[in-house]
Amino acid sequence: MIAKELIADPGASPAETFVINIGPQHPATHGVLRVKMTMDGEYIVRAEPVVGYIHRMQEKMGENRNYAQFLPNTSRIDYLSALTYTHAFVGAVERGLKLQVPPRAECIRVITSELNRISSHLVWWGAFLLDLGGFTPLLYAFDDREKILDLLEGITGSRLTYSYFRIGGLYNDVDDAFLKGTREFVHQMRPRLKMYRGLVTENIILKKRLIGIGEISQELCRKYGATGQVIRGSGIPYDVRRAEPYSAYNEFDFEIPHYPEGDSMARYLVHMDEIEQSLRIIEQGLDKLPNGPVMADKVPRVLKLPVGDYTYAVEAARGRFMVRIISDGKEIPYRVKLRTPCLSNLSLFEEASRGMLLPDALALMGSLDLVIPDIDR
Amino acid sequence: MEAQEDQLLKDCAPYVKFAKLDELLNLGRANSLWPLTFGLACCAIEMMAAGASRFDLARFGAEVFRPSPRQADVMIVAGTINKKMAAAVKTLYDQMPEPKWVIAMGNCAISGGPFVFPGQYAVVEGVDKLFPVDVYIPGCPPRPEALIEGLLKLEEKLTGKRRWPVVKPE
Amino acid sequence: MTEPANTPATPPPAPTAAPAAKPKAAPKPAAPVATVPPPEPPPPNPLPELALPCTGVHHHLRGLHAEATVSPDQVVFAAEEMDRTGFSLDTITGVDWIAENQMEVIYDYFHSLRNLRVAIRTRVPRDNPDLPTISGVFPGANWHEREAHDFFAIRFAGHPNLTPFLLPEDADYHPLRKDFKL
Repeated sequence: MIAKELIADPGASPAETFVINIGPQHPATHGVLRVKMTMDGEYIVRAEPVVGYIHRMQEKMGENRNYAQFLPNTSRIDYLSALTYTHAFVGAVERGLKLQVPPRAECIRVITSELNRISSHLVWWGAFLLDLGGFTPLLYAFDDREKILDLLEGITGSRLTYSYFRIGGLYNDVDDAFLKGTREFVHQMRPRLKMYRGLVTENIILKKRLIGIGEISQELCRKYGATGQVIRGSGIPYDVRRAEPYSAYNEFDFEIPHYPEGDSMARYLVHMDEIEQSLRIIEQGLDKLPNGPVMADKVPRVLKLPVGDYTYAVEAARGRFMVRIISDGKEIPYRVKLRTPCLSNLSLFEEASRGMLLPDALALMGSLDLVIPDIDR
Repeated sequence: MEAQEDQLLKDCAPYVKFAKLDELLNLGRANSLWPLTFGLACCAIEMMAAGASRFDLARFGAEVFRPSPRQADVMIVAGTINKKMAAAVKTLYDQMPEPKWVIAMGNCAISGGPFVFPGQYAVVEGVDKLFPVDVYIPGCPPRPEALIEGLLKLEEKLTGKRRWPVVKPE
Repeated sequence: MTEPANTPATPPPAPTAAPAAKPKAAPKPAAPVATVPPPEPPPPNPLPELALPCTGVHHHLRGLHAEATVSPDQVVFAAEEMDRTGFSLDTITGVDWIAENQMEVIYDYFHSLRNLRVAIRTRVPRDNPDLPTISGVFPGANWHEREAHDFFAIRFAGHPNLTPFLLPEDADYHPLRKDFKL
């Protein structure tokens, strides 16, 4: 069995290989990822991702505009979970300024972030199943997602790129329509999840495509710094919301779904369970939403961070996202570093896909939940 | 003899229409635009949303997203093009058979959008630097309705007539 | 900045300010901060088992639990120490301190079971930014080092494939250097 030989001896080069180039325009790569695959028949000898096709200078832009002006950029790194990314950036600035964000704002941040996480997972779910050959789930997923986008659009004014969190609080308060709509959405979403389970999760074709395919060990996750669903699918309950509690997350009761198998199915199940947990968090947030202002008072007009280096990590929809701001005391950051989860999650693909069948490797790539501008920044 | 022909034409009028071949072909093209499946960034998600349940691009005959440029008529450039990607985008455009059209969706495809600043090193400032564009759809990202409107504008460009009434803002 | 742990990151404040100027400089950072809390003493080093000069950092102030500054030839040893204690590589950040003619490289690590965050810093001369690669210890460093090479022209000796990563294949510019002009 060629695949086993390759896994046993990575240095072995089979006699006859050829190269397939996938991307940068390919429906299965979710954007502009390119993978150079050296193949031996149907088996992958080496799959080398080539990135940078959507590099947008985000870190350079951080150095030539002030803190508030960088906020729109934070929505365009991983546009599927824009709020969590904005959260990390405003969090880092607030940490530097030692700003106390009002409890109501923190609670709304949690609620909206979790809504955003669900909408992101729904896109992943639809697109992943599209990769595997099922078109219908996408239509269901987008149907539910539109409900979330309506809610978020009502308070933020945008469907994707929100910039809703501001340094010191929020752009505006939520209204009753949002609170009522969110509660309704939670009630609607639970039976939908049940339906998804019956429609897709227990489908024998899906199981055959995912169970035992694309196994990623805990050690591989550790060596490559993988986070998010990848590490939780390998059995480690690592979640920044628990590991480094930020915002109001330590006031919420939720579980961290994790599965020990490490295969694509485990990552699939982690995603699905996380939607359930996010619904739980949203419900708790709605129940205990405190009254009060949504913007800290005494936010200076001109933001200047004290000299130093501040990091802030959040659990984005795809894993650990960290912002590092290095300030030299001026209005403009000296350096903004964005540690994105997809870069680390993809970097293990080369090792994890060695010896796999090509269609299985695409299922593995889909289960990593990649957003390409998140890798390239 | 001529009077007879005239009479014949008159009798056929309710059932037969005469047009130039070009116009006929354009009518067919306009009513079944096949876009290339080609997402670059944020705008691609709105393009997906336009094709999915709520907005349903199929109502306008433009839902057949082709994965291969050889089968597509219209390229929706949905996202930022950087210098590394530009060559690939140009190749895709060249691979599309004539007649072909291009929709620049979103500010990045129009002008580089929010990623343009003095001294920028990566972004192509507008897809029209690479090849001609027929319809520009502003927005960051544009809403799915805007994409549909853009496709209708393209139809209008092809046939000279607008198929659907314009929705007036309230 | 009040914490001694942070001093390596600070660029030189008003160059060679005499001690007499110090009281003047002191209220400066206070300007944007609404209320100045009394400086907290640094917490104890959470990782005494590491053979690295770690100092504890308040997580709520800086987002780190500990940090250490090592010499450039120590980064591989530091990586091995982190690997031995079960840390994962978070990211590698380059910083161009042009005024001091130095390049700083920050290796971030996180522990997925003990929930710790550690930053290891090192500095190399700006004209000759050479560092050994840690991709032998953490294969995930491969891409991070390529990125740092793209942006800052930091050369990682022993790296298996130090080619442009995010920039085009033929890129010969390093855009995040402070003197970068296209």
